Amino acid sequence: MMQQTSGFRIFFMTGAWMVLAFLLLPILVVIPVSLTDTSYIGLPKEELSLQHYVAYFQDDRWLSATWTSIWVGLVVAVCATVLGTTFAIGCWFLSNRASTIARWILITPILVPPVVQSLGFYRFWVTLGLIDTHGGVILAHTLLALPYVSISVFAALANLDPRIPQAARSLGASVWQTVRAVVLPAAKPGMLTGGIFAFIVSFDEIVGVLFITVRNVSTLPKKIWEGIQESIDPTIASVATMLVMLTIVVTIITIWRRRDGDLT
Amino acid sequence: MPDKILTIANATKRYGPVHALDRVSLDVEEGEFLTLLGPSGSGKTTLLSAIAGFAPLTEGRIDLRGRNISNEPPEHRDFGMVFQGYALFPTMTVRDNIAFPLKVRKRPASEVRKRVDECLGLVQMEDFAERMPAQLSGGQQQRIALARALSFEPQVLLLDEPLSALDKKLRADLQWELKSLHDRLGVTFIYVTHDQDEALSMSDRVVILKDGRIQQQGVPDELYKFPRTRFVADFLGKSNFLDLPVTAREGDEMTCRIGGTNFPVTAPGATASGDVLNVALRPERIRLGAPGQELLDGIVRQVSYLGERCLVLVDHAEVGPLMISQPTWKAEVTPKAGLPVSFGWDVDAPVILEDGAA
Ligand SMILES: Nc1ncnc2c1ncn2[C@@H]1O[C@H](COP(=O)(O)OP(=O)(O)O)[C@@H](O)[C@H]1O
Ligand SMILES: [Mg+2]
Repeated sequence: MMQQTSGFRIFFMTGAWMVLAFLLLPILVVIPVSLTDTSYIGLPKEELSLQHYVAYFQDDRWLSATWTSIWVGLVVAVCATVLGTTFAIGCWFLSNRASTIARWILITPILVPPVVQSLGFYRFWVTLGLIDTHGGVILAHTLLALPYVSISVFAALANLDPRIPQAARSLGASVWQTVRAVVLPAAKPGMLTGGIFAFIVSFDEIVGVLFITVRNVSTLPKKIWEGIQESIDPTIASVATMLVMLTIVVTIITIWRRRDGDLT
Repeated sequence: MPDKILTIANATKRYGPVHALDRVSLDVEEGEFLTLLGPSGSGKTTLLSAIAGFAPLTEGRIDLRGRNISNEPPEHRDFGMVFQGYALFPTMTVRDNIAFPLKVRKRPASEVRKRVDECLGLVQMEDFAERMPAQLSGGQQQRIALARALSFEPQVLLLDEPLSALDKKLRADLQWELKSLHDRLGVTFIYVTHDQDEALSMSDRVVILKDGRIQQQGVPDELYKFPRTRFVADFLGKSNFLDLPVTAREGDEMTCRIGGTNFPVTAPGATASGDVLNVALRPERIRLGAPGQELLDGIVRQVSYLGERCLVLVDHAEVGPLMISQPTWKAEVTPKAGLPVSFGWDVDAPVILEDGAA
């Protein structure tokens, strides 16, 4: 049995490893590049150097773009979580045909190509006077992040027995008290996931930012993009490396917490 | 005559083309144990939800002590409800679950504590106050759900198949407990079940539902002895159904014929007008005897021994197979398959059913 399948095994194992390498190498290649001792993007020549990390921390434009991305992301996470949760809870209570249609409409931002959507933002933001403002970016990113929040809250609420809010009502709780006491606790895991998603959507978003900002607003992805356009500055690689490290740390923490959660 | 606490008039609930409730009218008396009994899909949960305020009626009204509450939200009705599947709040401890109705009513903390302890005592769960619902067995969750629904001293307690998920032994124990709780507290219970034994053993009054309509209501004994329709006779216990041709009639006294044998039937207030009586005959009302001892002759087809009783299926040329239930401790004959026997019944044993009742 093993003998017969071993040919297949080798074929598929090789394929799997190649796909993994293909996925990971472009990400990992930024690490040596970030440590280069040259002043252009390339592998280290004579020795490893941290000069491009130093450059990042000494450059106000990089730091301010990073800070902008972080606080815009946080504001977006809060706004999208509040709106998306409200929407999901409302639909859950109605649970009729109109609410099903509303759910479909809300997830269209995921289906529409980003360029088309950004064009739409651009047209509207011109009319509303939101071009090149932080408010405009926050609003656009909130709209983009909403579906992720509401989808994850919907998923969390799918586990909520409709008789539980009914029980709360029959025990004397108003609709509002019921939402606070039993619906929000059930939605909480979804809100947390959704909020993290919303932050990442905003932190990572570039197409919309390129369309609706000019000079006034600079986010980290936009700065990286401009860095590549203007000069081939290895600082980009050091920024990218730090982001990769951050992602790995966050992922490990998440997995670790989930394992802990399962134990209780 | 006790006061009415709830009056349900012409309650109708439609879901699209489905009549979940169809012109249901019902009075509930203060302090009684009323059971809604019916097969699955007969509208029991819908009726209970309408009373609780979750399912607004399409037509009709519900009055609480003469006040129309049809449009009041559930939280203003002050009815405790125990749900099918318990519906405990999973993120709260047992204590917080029971305290919930008191907290939303803004009772002082010391009173809440005292009352929760009282309620835990009521259902004998004092040791479980700090547990989470997921750490309790089904029967324990059921008790907590009951304590929670009673903690705010509701006017009416609504129970939707509270015991259906439990095993047989535990169910029997909890039936006794529920009944004694009702007797002690004097709260009006409206109890939903599809289990006829549960309904007969616990209730002051039983309402039988089918397809969203009330089929018959009454005290358990009366319902069992005098079912009006074939459905009720069949649903509450076992019955034999016979079509008896009437040969003579004199007031309530009739003479019917099976094969070549004439025998009298008493039918007080019988509505049957035709030449054929549809009757239900309880298996335990039929006597079994040695050949010639009783009016009709038959042959035993099958015997099933149940301990205190034994069920005998007897073939008769005219009426087909009849189910007879015979106490094992005073058997006239020891039935065996193939044994020729005779059987008969008292004049008041057959219950006349309404015409056309399916
Ligand atoms: N929310 C609903 N939407 C549509 N039909 C329903 C709904 N609730 C109940 N029904 C229908 O109403 C009828 C009675 O249901 P229900 O009251 O739950 O019966 P029971 O509790 O006696 O089993 C059933 O035919 C059921 O399919
Ligand atoms: Mg039901």
